[in-house]
Amino acid sequence: MKYRIGLDLGSTAIKVVLVKGQAIEWSRKVPTAPGQEHLAMGLVKDALDQFGLSDRDIDKVSATGYGKKLVSSAGHTVDEISANAQGMFALSEGRCRTIINIGGQDLKVINLADNGKISDFRMNDKCAAGTGRFFEQVARILDTPLESFGEMSLKADDALELNSTCVVFAESEIVSLLAKGVKKENIIKGLHYSIARRITHLLGRQTTDGDIYLDGGPSQNPGLLDALEDELLMEVKVLPQPQFTVAFGAAIS
Amino acid sequence: MKQINREERLREKVKSRYKEEVRQEIKSLRERPDYFPELDYFLDLLSEGPESSIISARVGRPVAALLCLQAPLELFHACGVHPFKIFGGSQAASRLSAPSLPALMCPMLRSALGMLQLDSALDGDGGGFAAWVLPTTCDWVVKFMEMMANCGQENQRPVHRLELPHLKDRDESQERWLEEIYGLRKFLGDLTGRKKPDRKTLARSMAIYQKAWHVFTELTDLKRTGRLAALWYVVISNSFFFDDVQKWISALESVVPKLKGRPQGPGREVYLAGSPIFFPNLKMMHLLENAGLKVVMDDLCSSERLFPGAVYFDDPSDHGLMKALAQRYHQGCLCPTFADNDRRINNIIAPSHKSSFKGVVFQVLKGCHPFDLESLTLERRLKDEGLKFIKLETDYTSEDSQNLLTRLEAYRGALEV
Repeated sequence: MKYRIGLDLGSTAIKVVLVKGQAIEWSRKVPTAPGQEHLAMGLVKDALDQFGLSDRDIDKVSATGYGKKLVSSAGHTVDEISANAQGMFALSEGRCRTIINIGGQDLKVINLADNGKISDFRMNDKCAAGTGRFFEQVARILDTPLESFGEMSLKADDALELNSTCVVFAESEIVSLLAKGVKKENIIKGLHYSIARRITHLLGRQTTDGDIYLDGGPSQNPGLLDALEDELLMEVKVLPQPQFTVAFGAAIS
Repeated sequence: MKQINREERLREKVKSRYKEEVRQEIKSLRERPDYFPELDYFLDLLSEGPESSIISARVGRPVAALLCLQAPLELFHACGVHPFKIFGGSQAASRLSAPSLPALMCPMLRSALGMLQLDSALDGDGGGFAAWVLPTTCDWVVKFMEMMANCGQENQRPVHRLELPHLKDRDESQERWLEEIYGLRKFLGDLTGRKKPDRKTLARSMAIYQKAWHVFTELTDLKRTGRLAALWYVVISNSFFFDDVQKWISALESVVPKLKGRPQGPGREVYLAGSPIFFPNLKMMHLLENAGLKVVMDDLCSSERLFPGAVYFDDPSDHGLMKALAQRYHQGCLCPTFADNDRRINNIIAPSHKSSFKGVVFQVLKGCHPFDLESLTLERRLKDEGLKFIKLETDYTSEDSQNLLTRLEAYRGALEV
């Protein structure tokens, strides 16, 4: 059986997967930087080298994400919403009916029909609130590694109400809270709740029958998952490699 | 003195950017494979721009600036006045007006106000527009003259407001609207100093606009059958007020036969609803095409709703004609500022049973509250009918193009379910 390659050229990270059948054999990501095609193809070369493969062993290279048109060697492109839907439906073994995706610059809620096709979806517009970029900005303001947000928020003793989810205004609000001596843990927990409320708002009246899955980089944050489940009043599931769902979806599309 | 110099420099800068916006859009239109020379008439009108002195010189009669589409165009014609619908599609022009306006304002009217600031003929005594006619539709339109003054354009010309009854189906509303239309006729008559147009003159003007509607309907059918790209349909519609109606009809009559034998264009069929689209901001039309979507029907006041439909009358008396005009322009209007606007929803649902479109793309310009409000009802009702619905909120900047394209591409995929 031949392999397939899925490339997800997102606004904050480039993700590459090597797929055989319906399984991710290899995955890796690098931060997005100028020269996206070069970066993506560098990862593809790593995958081929590691598995001792050549171009002849690759059935198809598919690209998705904002930079999908930048990779000339990708024989197939697919929009990231469709790729996300296909990837998540396959990886959840057909159980997923709602995807909440937190990308670098966007936030999506995708509803799936019983056959895995998109039945409805919503996406934020220009505002970056609640996206991966927003988390990065807050990490910078708090001078705290993003990776520790989940653990820290679980230690919070108060769910602080953050008034703003705007990247710009959140900065002044957080600086002001720090000046008042508010614990970082409580600020982070408040941040998770404010994002969870934004996602709930985006979900709006969309139906949530069936399993809900969260993917994208921030889905590995247990504090955000807690807040989201609390706001949605539903269980939210996360797959083992939530950052690679979209690249996988491109590969199998 | 320094301040005046800065304003002048800004105006020159914006004018140059506006010209560049126009040049680029016209160039891209002329480079399309479906361009043909008969379209030049419409492209040239839009290229020359909406400056009041140019319009006035072209049509050779007094020009009344008009907002929205509830004032019967036939009445202007019969009174010897050319109606010019004020619009704004330029992002560059918005830069002139934005400092004097609310931040969350309708981008179309912000641009329109900027365009008026670019109009050198409006300086001083009111320039190229002989008068203003404003139906009280949305809040932005109601406050238009006030905003214009805040933008430094003190109008010196007569202003006539038509108080629009926001309930269409009540007899009292229709009676009130008929009175407003009589008031408009008096206003236009006073403006030109002519006596009230007689019944025959009015009937003749109605016949001319009937012909315009008829040719436009042929064009609409060509779009609906996929022989004319919706982008061109918007261009042609947008140019309507730029010239004498009979010249525009002649130009359109030379375009229609060219399209009749054409093969159907590619793309999945959709219905486009929501806020209007004006040249040179054709962003949404380009994105729809790039996403593989083909607009076969729309309810935009900038395109398919340009004419409210044929004006029929049983009573050929002067009052009968006036009543027919008042009714058609009031009851036939689907503007979301009306409280009883179910007809708008039915106008989408009914053709969906016969047409090939299975989805509705709803465009809302940020700050365009009536459309935004109505989108919620529309979404619910259309989904109940099994139609796919996507709402896209945008403005005149290009920075959200990729985000919008991603959504439209996925939407096309969803239409295939």
